[in-house]
Amino acid sequence: MAEDKIYGPFEVDQHITAHSIYYAGKMGSRFYTTLRDEQKILGVRCEKCNKVYWPPRTTCGRCFSQLSEDDLVEIGPTGTLETYTLVTYTEPVHPRKAPFIYGIIKLDGADTGMAHFIDEVDYTQLHVGMRMQPVFAEERKANILDIAYFKPA
Amino acid sequence: MSRESMEQELVSIPIIVDVPYKFAAGHYMSRFLLELRDNGKFYGIRCPVCKRVQLPPRVVCAVCHVKNDEWVELANEGTLTAFTVMYLPVTDPTTGKPHEPPLVYGSVKLDGADSMLNHFINVEADRDKVWVGMRMRTVLRPKEQRIGDLSDIIHFEPLEGQKNPEK
Repeated sequence: MAEDKIYGPFEVDQHITAHSIYYAGKMGSRFYTTLRDEQKILGVRCEKCNKVYWPPRTTCGRCFSQLSEDDLVEIGPTGTLETYTLVTYTEPVHPRKAPFIYGIIKLDGADTGMAHFIDEVDYTQLHVGMRMQPVFAEERKANILDIAYFKPA
Repeated sequence: MSRESMEQELVSIPIIVDVPYKFAAGHYMSRFLLELRDNGKFYGIRCPVCKRVQLPPRVVCAVCHVKNDEWVELANEGTLTAFTVMYLPVTDPTTGKPHEPPLVYGSVKLDGADSMLNHFINVEADRDKVWVGMRMRTVLRPKEQRIGDLSDIIHFEPLEGQKNPEK
C-alpha cells in the first residue's frame, strides 16, 4: 500500500429491517371491520368520565373503567381541524413522498383527535377550526388507510 | 362476552419497519473498510508500545492509551479460536428474516492479528467437523457487490484437506 494514499471520510449505507404484526384486539378489530364494511368510524364512550375516545379501547385512560363493545359509538365522519403541518422533506420512514400535509382532526362526537393526511386543499387555505370530511378508500382492507385522507368539508 | 363477539373477526396488520441510516466510519475504520471494499484486503493497526495488532483498527490502543499508527496488512486466512453451533434461528437485522439453523458461528484470528473476527463458519453443523485450531479463509462478496461494511464478508470457510486432530 502506498503510504501517500488518501482515504476520505467514508459513510456506509446501512439499514435495519424488523417484521412485526400489529394485533388490533377486540375493540380495534371492531373499529377496523366497521370502517371497512360500513365506512363508519367508531369511538368508545366512558360513561363515568363522559369522554369519547378514538381509537376505541377496553380501558378508560382517565379512570381505568372497563369498557366494552356496548360502549362503542359512531363518531364523525366530519370533524374539526385541530392542528396541521406541511411536510416538505422526504424521509424513507414516511408513508408518502413530500410534500404532503398531516393534520389532527377531532371527529364530531369524539374528545380525542385523529392524525391523518389532508389532501385536495392548498396548504395556505387551511386554518385551525376548519371543518373536515374523510374520503374513504375504494378498496378497503381493514386498516387506517381505509380512510384515504381528509379534505375540507 | 356475547356469542357474536366470540365469532368476531380479529384484525392483524403486518408491519415492516425499515430504518435506513448512514454509519460514519471515522478516520481509521474508513481506511479499513475502503481497503476491504476496493482491494479485498484486511488491515490491522499495531500499537507502538505493546505491539499487539488490533482488528478492527482503533486510533488509540485500549491497553496502553497511546496512538496507533502502524498499519499492518493481514492475511485472508486465519485460525479458528472459538465456535458455537446455534440451533435457534438468529434474525438478520438487515432483512428482518432469520438465518436458518443449525449454524456454526465462530471467532477467527487472522494471521498477523491479535484480535478476532466473529462470523458465520461455512461448515456442516457437526462438532466433529469443526474444531479450535482449524484453518480458515475469508469468503468475500464479489468486488462489484461490496459496499464497504462487514457484510462484505459472507462467511469463513475451512481450508481444504484438514483433519480433526482429536479424531
